[in-house]
Amino acid sequence: MFHNSSQRSHWIFDSEDELEQKRCDANRKFREEARGSGKSVVLLERHQEDVLFRHYERRLLDFCNNFTPPMPKSVLGTAMMYFRRFYLNNSIMEHHPRIIMLSCAYLSCKVDEFNVSSSQFVGNLLQETPAGQERVLEQILEYELLLIQQLNFHLVVHNPYRPMEGLLIDIKTRFPTLENPESLRKSADDFLTQAAMTDTGLLFSPSQIALTAILNSASRAGLSMESYLTECLGLKEDKETLSKMYDSMRKIKTLLKKYELPKAEEVNEYKLRLERIHAEFASASNKRKRGYEDDDHVVKEPRLVEEVRLGFDYSHVSHF
Amino acid sequence: MDDQGCPRCKTTKYRNPSLKLMVNVCGHTLCENCVDMLFVRGSGNCVQCDTPLRKVNFRVQLFEDPAIDKEVEIRKKVLKIYNKRDFDFPSLREYNDYLEEVEDIVYNLTNNIDAENTKLRMEQYQKENSDLIKKNKVKLTREQEELEELLLLEQQGNEQRRLEALQEEQRQLQTKRKNKQALLDELEQSKLPATFVLAQHKVRASQLETQIEQQKQVVKPTTLFSTGIQMRQSVSLQPVPRIEEVLYHYKPLHVEIYGPTVPQLEQLGRLGYLNHVRAALAQDTAGGYNSALACYRAIQEAFSGLFPPKG
Repeated sequence: MFHNSSQRSHWIFDSEDELEQKRCDANRKFREEARGSGKSVVLLERHQEDVLFRHYERRLLDFCNNFTPPMPKSVLGTAMMYFRRFYLNNSIMEHHPRIIMLSCAYLSCKVDEFNVSSSQFVGNLLQETPAGQERVLEQILEYELLLIQQLNFHLVVHNPYRPMEGLLIDIKTRFPTLENPESLRKSADDFLTQAAMTDTGLLFSPSQIALTAILNSASRAGLSMESYLTECLGLKEDKETLSKMYDSMRKIKTLLKKYELPKAEEVNEYKLRLERIHAEFASASNKRKRGYEDDDHVVKEPRLVEEVRLGFDYSHVSHF
Repeated sequence: MDDQGCPRCKTTKYRNPSLKLMVNVCGHTLCENCVDMLFVRGSGNCVQCDTPLRKVNFRVQLFEDPAIDKEVEIRKKVLKIYNKRDFDFPSLREYNDYLEEVEDIVYNLTNNIDAENTKLRMEQYQKENSDLIKKNKVKLTREQEELEELLLLEQQGNEQRRLEALQEEQRQLQTKRKNKQALLDELEQSKLPATFVLAQHKVRASQLETQIEQQKQVVKPTTLFSTGIQMRQSVSLQPVPRIEEVLYHYKPLHVEIYGPTVPQLEQLGRLGYLNHVRAALAQDTAGGYNSALACYRAIQEAFSGLFPPKG
């Protein structure tokens, strides 16, 4: 349950400012490293990073929605949450979001018990050749452990989808005044999809988001559900909690309203810059990542040398 | 390892299986023949270390390593002087120190380390504690005697039981023999037909048989428990002191879910929740699933953390 989860204790933050601060820190950290390495590339500013982040998040969403076999919503939600949590403490200039996004989806399939094989998974990358898919899979596996580590091994994500079902059941049972609760579902679902692309998951509990989705959907349909909160959820006496709930619901709604799609020309410009940054820093990081391959070489080399020397000695002896 | 042998005549156990090796206080071996030859006069010097020895002190070597025989000998001697026991000391610590001192002395004497000083130390100890040593010696001998007495009693008991069993057996044999003789006599003298006599005898024999069986089964009532306590002896049964402790109080687990109260799993049906969830199929229920479980979980998740944190 959410109330004693790592999500509640580690991944729910107080304010948007705190999140922004963390992302700025990650950006600054990478800048310092880049300056230390003495390479001269134009780095991405924080707001530019954000544009690219939203772009890749969108692509992750599309990838999950077009996934075959169809992916359950909770897997999608978990993948989006991993992606968001990862770039809370990391800069996209350090780890390329293209591969991190796939790693997030791959990991969330495993964690949420959506059973697809790895080859089936990369089979969804339709624009890649089989050899290319193989290469991508290798990269995914390479980044998987880093991802898990950056998520601080908190892999269980509580999504708002099941709480929404629970609330609908509760409304049907205890709030018969509402004529047709099922009619709220469509627009509430859309609300949750929207919410997955904002920071709501890092600021509010999944049940709060689900309740906001339902109430929002009801108010759009011109229905009032205030009495559900006061009568059924027992908030009649507790005015303080009630006002706080309304407050947080308002915050969730503004967060959703604030969301805007990244502009295509901006994305293209920053993407080019990101590629250049990664090309510049790839050689350094690649060496570190490919360390195990280098080790192989180290093991093989001396044996060869020894054989050569032995051959030489032998001929030397036979000469006499 | 090479075979054990006499260092003087070079005979080994392999060549002479009946070779008897002897050891004296210095810890060096000699075979029996050499001992007889060299110590005709009753005393002489060790072949290996020139220590003056007496013939009477030669012992048969019990261990493969003669040094151990030597150590055993020395230990016997040391323990005669150092015969304090654990209740002669106020604390376990001191008793342990004392034991260690004894071990030190034995080790030193066995390996000839600082032998002179060690001997002096022993003598001094003997002088200082002569009273206690004597007392303990007496006590030890008395205990030894008691032990022997007990053993003797047990032996006597065993012997007596054996004799009784023997007598019993003999008596039975005798009755059987008498019975047979009686049958023969009867067959000889009686005017009754032989089959009748035989049948009569058979009945009598079986009666005797059962009698013997019964006798065997009557076991003498034991008067002693295996622990040596007399039966029907009133043992004072003092109540074991009771330890009063504060009793454990069960407190039901309270989980703060930061939201409205979730109805109990058992009440979901009664409250009408189950009318709004998909009913479980027959094949689903095989594993113990029912629709209430899914419903319960959904509602739990819906209510968990619903209210904003207070304060």
